[in-house]
Order: sequence, then structure tokens, then C-alpha cells
Amino acid sequence: MQRIVRFLTGLPLAIILLVTIAMYSIIGTVLPQGLSVEVYAERYPQFAQWILALQFDHVYTSLVFYVLLGLFVLNLVGCTLKILPAQLRRMKQDYVMTPRASSEEMFDSSLNPEMFRSSLTKLRYSIRETEDGFIASKHRIGHIGSSVTHLGIIVIIVGSIIGAIFAEEGFFNLMPGDVKSFPDYGFAIRLDDFYFGFRENGTVEQYFSEVSVLRSQQPEQTAKLWVNQPLSVDSLSFYQTSYGWASRVLITKNSGEEVMNIWLRKGESTFVQENHMTVYLYGFYPNFTITSEGEPLTMTEEMKNPHYAVILYEYGQHVGSYIVEPGQPIERGDFQITFQDSTLYTGLTYRKDFGYSFVVAGSAIMFLGLMFSFYFTPKQILMTTNSIKVMTRQNPWGLTYQIKKLVEASRIGKESN
Amino acid sequence: MEQIIFWEETFFTVAFVAYTAAALAFFAHVALKKDIMGKIAVLLTSAGFLIHTTAIVLRVIESGRLPFSNQFEFATSFTWGIVLCYLVLHYAYRFTAVGAFVMPIAFLVMGYASMLPKTIKPLMPALQSNWLYLHVGTAVISYGAFAVSAGLATMYLIHLYQKKDNETKTGMLTAETCDYLSYRVIAFGYLMLTLVIITGAIWAKAAWSRYWAWDPKETWSLITWLIYSVYLHLRFHRGWTGKPAAWFAVIGFLCVIFTFVGVNTLLAGLHSYL
Repeated sequence: MQRIVRFLTGLPLAIILLVTIAMYSIIGTVLPQGLSVEVYAERYPQFAQWILALQFDHVYTSLVFYVLLGLFVLNLVGCTLKILPAQLRRMKQDYVMTPRASSEEMFDSSLNPEMFRSSLTKLRYSIRETEDGFIASKHRIGHIGSSVTHLGIIVIIVGSIIGAIFAEEGFFNLMPGDVKSFPDYGFAIRLDDFYFGFRENGTVEQYFSEVSVLRSQQPEQTAKLWVNQPLSVDSLSFYQTSYGWASRVLITKNSGEEVMNIWLRKGESTFVQENHMTVYLYGFYPNFTITSEGEPLTMTEEMKNPHYAVILYEYGQHVGSYIVEPGQPIERGDFQITFQDSTLYTGLTYRKDFGYSFVVAGSAIMFLGLMFSFYFTPKQILMTTNSIKVMTRQNPWGLTYQIKKLVEASRIGKESN
Repeated sequence: MEQIIFWEETFFTVAFVAYTAAALAFFAHVALKKDIMGKIAVLLTSAGFLIHTTAIVLRVIESGRLPFSNQFEFATSFTWGIVLCYLVLHYAYRFTAVGAFVMPIAFLVMGYASMLPKTIKPLMPALQSNWLYLHVGTAVISYGAFAVSAGLATMYLIHLYQKKDNETKTGMLTAETCDYLSYRVIAFGYLMLTLVIITGAIWAKAAWSRYWAWDPKETWSLITWLIYSVYLHLRFHRGWTGKPAAWFAVIGFLCVIFTFVGVNTLLAGLHSYL
């Protein structure tokens, strides 16, 4: 049992897990994730079965990945609990590190010990007298660097687990005037306006949604959000993530009778039962042009020369493709089809994730831990009447280099320099 | 404006020439063991760095922002980061010969940059954030540090191959010095990479609602971070110094290069505009 615990909390497992998680993650960057079974079967006919069986189609939410992460957390917690008591003991003032066998002797008979001591004090070493010299110590906090880093990573993982279990997320489109209600939170969002910010060359600089937050028996609050500038309402955050054009399609009979008056977005279609006609809005082009290959496209998102690309089907058979301007009717038998009143709609994502605070806090802790580990590494200089030894774990070469220079500068005769 | 573009391209080209000449001079310094060649190489590197900085400043004036928004801009900034890290190391320790192993990397990345389109495009909405500067700025420094560490590791491996372990007057380092310096530079790069990932996550949360989306670029940054984590653990706790550590430093840098070039060219994702 002890051997199992030792393995589960030991460095060998940590290394195995770090390498395995790295290797396993590569799969998800090479294989497209989250596609349908049919797509995998079509793209990888020979391997599709294996891809699906091994859950390589959703690597980062696969059972294997969860097991790896679980083991990683277990290993990290166990390892930290194992090393922390010893690290805390080393932080005490009377702790003296053991010099490495290969530690270089730097004593020089021409050294001025007082000058050397004073130089160390200037470098913020705390000096403790010994029987035949002194011990200069610095950065005791560095002893707990690795544990603080581990703690940070654990907090990040806890935050991401909280997020995975409890986070709420959704997406919705709104046209100006539309309202999206959030009954569980006691408010609703109404889109007052959505528009582009244009540059001089006509390209879109930013997407803006102006909204009102509606609450019963409270005055409306207006707010504006754009990409990189989310809006927070209570515990929900709203993000500007998408947009599109909606166009009104009006289908009338030659007699003037209105058959249909609805909004269609690009890629949507509507069906007229009477003549089994499908009206498919292939695209809307606010600043229309046509490529040399005959493909319609829009030069900019400015409403300068709007056109619609429309395809008609009857009984499932293609009966015509049209490029029309707003209000220009498409005649089909007894029916007239016109597109007009194109307007922008916004696409907003909302999200609530308490785990994020943990992730930010964990990141800060981890960064602090790394700073302790790399730049506040514990250092000790042991000086006796005929010896100077440096003691540090992380960077003995650097400390030796630094103290050598200090010894050099503290030689008798250097005082006047 | 056109004049600024002309001068930016001119300064960029002159810097590239200076870096190329510096790399050759460093080789000559190491091969011929001539101190004077080392001094010339450092001078060329320093001058090239100043000229390169001027080119970048001119681009900042042209575009009104830091050059962090496409593959060319990151490549030129990456080269700048490599040379900066090398010069800091050089002026701190005066180990001239390190340049012979670092400047060829700077030359290659600058060469890659020179082949990319240099047009300045306005920032797309998702990039219009101050996090861009912190996120990509730390990446420039981090990648630069990893390049220098890979150079030092290569130097160590060559030491091993030549079975030489004495510091010479021409500034060749002992194998132990290469090893320790490589580690220290990796530690710095790792700290910066951690900041790259953290700032990227905070920015992603503000821009896309999620702090982590397993986008290939962020996943490869994580993979690089994990590889260097293994390096640091093995070094601290298993005494992995010397040859295996040097090979690890080289492998880590290959991950960095893949994250920079491979992910953009081979894999699609949220960072595909870079």
C-alpha cells in the first residue's frame, strides 16, 4: 500500500502524466474535434471506428483525459502534502543548507572579511554569527516556491471543474426591438440598436450592440457592448460574438393577396404549401459586386448597393436562381416574391462561471510560486576563518559566479576603489 | 506615410544584413579563436538590434500600434526578442561565443519574416484590446529566451562532441556554464510563457466568453509549457543536467517553433489570423 501511495504522489508519475497529457493533447490539435460521426466516416474511412471508440473526436472531454487530469490532481496534492512540511522547516532561521560536494572553495587569504560581510548585507543577506564566522542567508521564502506553484495549479483545476459543472452559457440573436428574457435572474435584455463602426476604407472596425436591461418596476438601464467589452448584469456576462443580416421576404399573389411576410437570414428558406415552392435566401450583399468567376460577394458591410441571391425550388427541383435588388419582384406563376427592409441583427453569448475567479486566483498564486522558485531561491553563504562556501539548490553556478565577484571586490587594498 | 514605409523596409533589410554578418562573424570567432572577430560580431549584433528597433518604431508610427498582429509582425518581434535576450546575456556575462549559436536562430527567424507579406492591416475587432500587448509582448520575450537557451544547449552538445571542457580566452564557455545558463534562461522563458498563457486566458474570457477553448495555438502553448515543466522537474529532482537537459532544451524550442509556425500553417483555429 505504501508503495502505491509513494508512486501516486511521486515524481515519476508526475513526469509520466505531464508527458502523457502533452502527447494526448496533440491528438486534439491534429484531428478536428466535435464533428458528426458521418464526417469522420467520410474523411477517415479506415480509422473512423478507432477515432470514435477511443473518443478522439472529443479528446478534451474524453474519459481518458479526465482520468489523466484526475491522476494529475491526485499526484499534485499528494506531492505537495508530502514536501510541504520539510519546506516549512527549511524556512526557519536556524536552518543551514548542506554544501554540495562539488561546491567550489572561494576563500582568498587577501579577503577583507568585514568588507565581504558588508557587501552581503548590502545585497540584503541576513547575517547570523557562528563560532568561527557567519552564515549569510537570503530568500527563505523560496523554499515553498514549488508548493505555492502546485497550489496555484490545483486552484486553477478546481476552478475549471467548477466551471465545467456549474457554468451556464448560451447564445441568442436579437433584432432591434427584440427582447430576450432571463426569468431565473429577474431581468430581460432588449436590443435597441446594432451597428458597425467603419474605418475610412469601409472595413468594419467594431461591432456595437446598444441594449436596455429591463427589470419589473425599475427604470431601464441602457448599456453598450462590443467585442472585448462584455456587459455584466448581475452574475451574467454578455459578449458580442456574432452578427448577421435579416431580410423581410414578402410573398404575394398576383391578386394582391399576401401569402407570407416573414424575416429570413442568410442560408434560411421558407416553404409555400400551395405550389410546393421553397424560397431559399442564398445570400445578402449590402455592397454587391460579382467576381470574375461569377460569384456574388459584398465589398464592404456598408449598405451602398444591396442585392439578394435567391434560389427557388418546386417539388424539390431547382427552378431558378436570381440576383435581385430590394423591392424587385421575382415572378413565379401566380406568385411574386420580394426581399426588402434588410436589417442587422446581433449575436450575443451569455455566460456565468464562478470557476473563473478561482482560475484567476490560481494563476496569480502559480505565478507567485514560480517567482519564489526562480527569483527568490534560497541562498546561503557559509564563511569560516579559512573557507567560503555557497549553498543553493537551483542555481549554484550563478551564485558562485556572483560571490566570486564579491570576493574579488572585497580583497584587501580594494577599499579605496 | 510612404516615406515611413520605405524607411521601415530599408531599416529592416539593413538589420537583417547586420544579423547575417554577425552570425558569420561569430562563426569566425569560434572557429578561428580570434577575439577581434568576436568584438566585431557583438558590434554588428548591437548595431543590427538598434537598426531593427528603429524599423519596429517606424512600423509603430505607421500603424499606430505595436507590431503584434500578424505572422510577419510576430516574426520580426520574435527576432527582436531573441537578439534582446542574447544581448542582455552578453552584457551581463560577456560570453561572446554564445552568439555563434543564437544569432543563426535570429537569422533564420528574420529570414522567415522577410519572406512574409509586410502589409499593415488594421486590427480586427477581437484584437482591439490592451491584452494584445501584454499577451504577445510576453510571448516575444519568452520565445526569445527559449531560442537563446536552445543556442546554449547546442553549444553544450558541441562541447560534448568535441570533448572540450575548458574556458578559452575567446569567450567559449565551459560545458557546465552552458548548462547552467541554459537552465536560467529557460526558467525565465518559462515564467514568461506562464504569463503568456495567463494573459491569453484572461483576454479570451473578455473577447470570447471562455478563458480556455482548446484552440490549437493555446493547446500547443500548453504542450510547450508541459515539456518545459518536465525539464524543470527532472533538473531539480533527478539531477538531469548536461546532455539530457540540453536535448530537452532543444526539443522544447522545437515545440516553440511549431507553436509559432506549424500551428499557423498546418492547423486552423481561433489564432488563424496570425
